[in-house]
Amino acid sequence: MDNNFLVIENISKSFGDNKVLENINLNISKSEFFGLLGSSGSGKTTLLRILGGFEKPDSGRVILDGTDITNLEPFDRPLNYMFQSYALFPHLNVFNNLAFGIKENFTQKEIETNVINIAELLSIEHLLNRKIKQLSGGEQQRVALGRCLIKKPKLLLLDEPLAALDKKLRSKTQLELTTLQKKLKITFVFVTHDQEEAMSISDRMAIMKNGLILECSSPEEIYENPKSLYTANFIGIANIIEIYKKDENFYSDDLGVNFKLNKELKNTKTNILLRPEKIKIQSINNLKTSSFNSFSGEILEKSYLGSFTRYEIKINNMIISVLDQNFNSNSNYNFPKGEKVICSWESESIKILED
Amino acid sequence: MKNKLFEKYFVFSPYFWLVLFFFIPLAIIFKISISVSEWGMPPYQDIFLFDNGFKINTTFENYIYIFSDYYYIGSFVNSLILALISTFFCLLIGFPLAFYIATSNIRLRNILLVLIVIPFWSSFLLRVYAWKIILQNNGILNVILLNVGITSEPLQLLYNQYAVIMGIVYTYLPLMILPLYGYLNKFDLNLIEASKDLGLNRIKTFFKVILPLSVPGIVAGSLLVFIPVVGEFIIPEMLGGSDRLYYGKILWEEFFVNRNWPGASALAFSGIIILVLPIVIFQILYSRWSQKNEI
Repeated sequence: MDNNFLVIENISKSFGDNKVLENINLNISKSEFFGLLGSSGSGKTTLLRILGGFEKPDSGRVILDGTDITNLEPFDRPLNYMFQSYALFPHLNVFNNLAFGIKENFTQKEIETNVINIAELLSIEHLLNRKIKQLSGGEQQRVALGRCLIKKPKLLLLDEPLAALDKKLRSKTQLELTTLQKKLKITFVFVTHDQEEAMSISDRMAIMKNGLILECSSPEEIYENPKSLYTANFIGIANIIEIYKKDENFYSDDLGVNFKLNKELKNTKTNILLRPEKIKIQSINNLKTSSFNSFSGEILEKSYLGSFTRYEIKINNMIISVLDQNFNSNSNYNFPKGEKVICSWESESIKILED
Repeated sequence: MKNKLFEKYFVFSPYFWLVLFFFIPLAIIFKISISVSEWGMPPYQDIFLFDNGFKINTTFENYIYIFSDYYYIGSFVNSLILALISTFFCLLIGFPLAFYIATSNIRLRNILLVLIVIPFWSSFLLRVYAWKIILQNNGILNVILLNVGITSEPLQLLYNQYAVIMGIVYTYLPLMILPLYGYLNKFDLNLIEASKDLGLNRIKTFFKVILPLSVPGIVAGSLLVFIPVVGEFIIPEMLGGSDRLYYGKILWEEFFVNRNWPGASALAFSGIIILVLPIVIFQILYSRWSQKNEI
């Protein structure tokens, strides 16, 4: 696969004294669905706006399909940008919003054909004569998407594409968006602050913080093997435990537990990540605590989530989160609050955090 | 119950105001305009006579007199043209300014707004008079032009229709900028970016997005400038010459110099009808149009 379809090279940007982006480098492949994930102030939207041509970087280059587009105006770039607010034109109806970007280059007949095609693709053909104000949030989102896609862009930039939708609609739209992207084979780069959203729709994603890219990989890789403490905490629920070398094993003072790792460590002291679903929770009657990779604790809190139950288990001064799948339909299977349980995990589940 | 009554009167107080200070004076003007003139004080006869039984003493002579003499109609046409030109220039200068203010950051925006409003703190008369000093034959502008060597003798800048247009544009510019700013302030700048993103350059974006969405602000500002300029008296009087006569001045002369109150009233009343009626019709059509277009 062509890994150099979109190349972001040493991009830096400051607003006054505020460094928003510092030396950003990214390579994005053709037809990839790429996510930029970060909390507010991480610089993700500024990066997207630089790609769209609405901001000029202080240094660095943006190369799209072999062409340097760094200094091109937005109207000269072969890409489109979908705004978080959708930015639909209130003085035009849906048809004219969709046709806005192609009016100059096509005849009336071609415009109509194009608009109807795109409207059918997005199932909004019944809305063409409506005013923007008469549309629901989800319908507006489709019109905004259609207005971009009708131009057949090489690259589509999406700023928080689903943020304005309610939760139920959001997950439905997520699926539609990925299906559409795979069908059209257009490269999508989107920005979000929502970890779940980034995980569920990205082929690859970059985690941004304070104008830097911390990690860039597939959602699975980032979740399972995060490199930094920040990423581990940012994506999903994380139990972070500090361990140090003691004899041939590792030991945590907070838990009072021996850890057995399946790989060697450079440092004598490190943070490890233990995801809550990797921890097995058992009744204390069933077996005894093993000498390593397990502990016994007391259930402090419990929240029933339907397919899972989330337990907060207290051991010494620490609280460990555990997600337990509700495998049995028997409700007694759940552990009650205050019950003593044994938690255990495999050596492979322990992920070492580098910093 | 008492509160309800108070509320009722409170709600109607603007109408009370309108009746007291607009409709009643208008009725008085209309009454004078259909009176028969005579020498005396007041210089017209009563419209109801009771000497030999009741008699209505009205005439439309004054209207006929005004509409049969091009002197009056011509001045009105001049004023309409003056108002159109001034409104156009106010819009031409005011729109970019208002747009710039509306899109600049909050600190700069407040400073600029204060700068726009500051002239209102000084007397209108003084500001117009200041232009007289600037534009006169040995005024600042001519002195500069002479010293730079652009002209060899002073230019006649004052006492012509161009000085009048300049004075009006200068004076009425804030009335154009403020309503425009109020409207453009709410303008979603993403729309401009979206238009550019969809391939329209700056000029096309202006005509396809910015201009159509600014129509309500443009209408408000233009009416605010156009209507008072039609009747403007002081600026043509101070900066204008004899090259063009304007409605306001003719009205003043008819009333105070010729002491033809019925004639002046007929002129005033016709002016209001000619000016207000089309504007009211325009407003009705416009509000229907904007409702339809959801702007």
